[in-house]
Amino acid sequence: MAAEPRVMGLFADDAKAARAIRELAAAGFTFRRAHGPIPSDRIREATAGRGSPVGWFTLAGGIFGFAFGFALAIFTTSQWNLIVSGKPVIALIPFFVVGFECTILFSVLGNVVGLLLCTRLPDFRGLETHDPRCSCDRFGVLASCPAGREGELLEFFRKKGAEVRVWP
Amino acid sequence: MSELSFARIDETVLGTLAPPRRGYWALVGALCLGVLLGAGCWAYQIAVGIGVGGQNIPVAWGTYLINFVFWVGIAHSGTLISAILHLLRAGWRNPIARAAETMTVFAVCCAGLFPFIHLGRVWQVYYMLPYPNQRQLWPNFLSPLMFDVIAISTYLTVSALFWYTGLLPDLAAVRDRAEGFRRKVFRVLSLGWSGAHDQWLHYSRGYLFFAALATPLVISVHSVVSWDFALGIVPGWHTTIFAPYFVAGAIHSGLAMVLTLMIPLRRIFRYEAIITVDVLENVAKTMILTGLLVGLAYGTEYFIAWYSHNPVEWESFRWRAVGEYAYGLYFMVVCNVLLPLLFLVRAVRRSLAWLFGLSLVVNFGMWWERFVIIVGGVAHDFAPHAWGLYAPTVVEYGIMAGSFCLFFLLFVLFCKHLPSVSMTEMKETVAHGR
Repeated sequence: MAAEPRVMGLFADDAKAARAIRELAAAGFTFRRAHGPIPSDRIREATAGRGSPVGWFTLAGGIFGFAFGFALAIFTTSQWNLIVSGKPVIALIPFFVVGFECTILFSVLGNVVGLLLCTRLPDFRGLETHDPRCSCDRFGVLASCPAGREGELLEFFRKKGAEVRVWP
Repeated sequence: MSELSFARIDETVLGTLAPPRRGYWALVGALCLGVLLGAGCWAYQIAVGIGVGGQNIPVAWGTYLINFVFWVGIAHSGTLISAILHLLRAGWRNPIARAAETMTVFAVCCAGLFPFIHLGRVWQVYYMLPYPNQRQLWPNFLSPLMFDVIAISTYLTVSALFWYTGLLPDLAAVRDRAEGFRRKVFRVLSLGWSGAHDQWLHYSRGYLFFAALATPLVISVHSVVSWDFALGIVPGWHTTIFAPYFVAGAIHSGLAMVLTLMIPLRRIFRYEAIITVDVLENVAKTMILTGLLVGLAYGTEYFIAWYSHNPVEWESFRWRAVGEYAYGLYFMVVCNVLLPLLFLVRAVRRSLAWLFGLSLVVNFGMWWERFVIIVGGVAHDFAPHAWGLYAPTVVEYGIMAGSFCLFFLLFVLFCKHLPSVSMTEMKETVAHGR
């Protein structure tokens, strides 16, 4: 079965792009992706995007880091069981510093892992349908249609005030 | 900002990445020579021994630790601008955020070198790492020096990741306009970023978490650095005010370095429409606040020394004001507290010459503040028969010059090879009219 033809409408502003996304389904076309040089709340609302799960990765990293920091400090001092300045060998207040720093470190590492997994980066295949103008000043809306309706999709985008680009 | 468009922002910023002229390579060459000088001095110290430096009892912490604290301090305003002001939605930080973040990463790299240099036998640095070993020795995390190892390495990792994450959309913009081998390099560096709506959704969320995590980190790191001193019992060091005192000083010096770097950058790259005088004026206004905070800390230190009725503490502070290093105290008070008050005058805040001049003055004063604290404490502590003075040697001056050259070399290389202004954040500023 041949792949559905894909057409990208390139809009000068995100409001027009968001309106086109909302009307694509009613016109019988399938919305694929939107591209833009900046994050857009209008496009996010139009695509009915759900919340991002990145925060869960961050939280998991933070909890692990806090436990790891404390455990590391307790383990190392208990291996060299020497009382310094009359302080207890396992002293929770100074170990909080280590726990805190590890919380931040592992939260950030969790954040980066979450970001990479959710955005599916590195993703060089995604560039096949990427127009360079979308990293400058255009908001691109990529849509597909059943074979033979490319002309209608082109016309749809043109009526919305977009430049168009057809992907083979 | 009203005259800026998305296309003009790209044109201006990407225009700075054009092949450099001879003058640029001459500057890079000169800075490389400076780095080689510093590396040569360090190599000489490794070959001959740590005794080639001026550190000796009672002043065992000299320029190496002064420069460590100085560079960590410089690193702090980058995170202030990129993280704290991002959370506060201060739009004026956008034109300078990228350069400030870059400054942070390079300053932490320079700072991180000094504990290695100060170790003397640098090849034994692995003693600080917690790993199973035949010696059955483990690092003791009761020591503030071990807090420092964790804090600085965390700060370097977080600030580098924060910086790279912020760069991703801009690297994609460079990729889309580059050709040949350069395009391939930026294709890899940008990880295939396409600005898809779902990428932006997760990116915005992740960047917000970065900022939220970097904010307490920046406060904690210089607090930890201050505890290297405050947890010792040396008069002049053993005080609870050190953490906020060091954090305020760090931000003060970092903002000064931002001005020192931004003003020439703005002129050379013709960034006048992006880095406006209003932006620089806001940095100067923030410096009035940080300067006053630093002044409050200086005054509080003296007040507590007097109010405590501790003769050793009071003698230490009396000697700071009238002893052999009194000039250092006056440098720091005048340069860090009094002269920045000139920023209260609007004409001074909006004059590039004054801004640049005062930024250099504050950098100078903040270096002397670290000298006064670090050397002043141990040179004149409890026992009069153990008092002594310290002067850096040629080797220390060479290493110090090398670290400054390394910092500026990295920054100069960055400016010509990566976008020195965040195009994405500038476009957001224009789009949202901030």
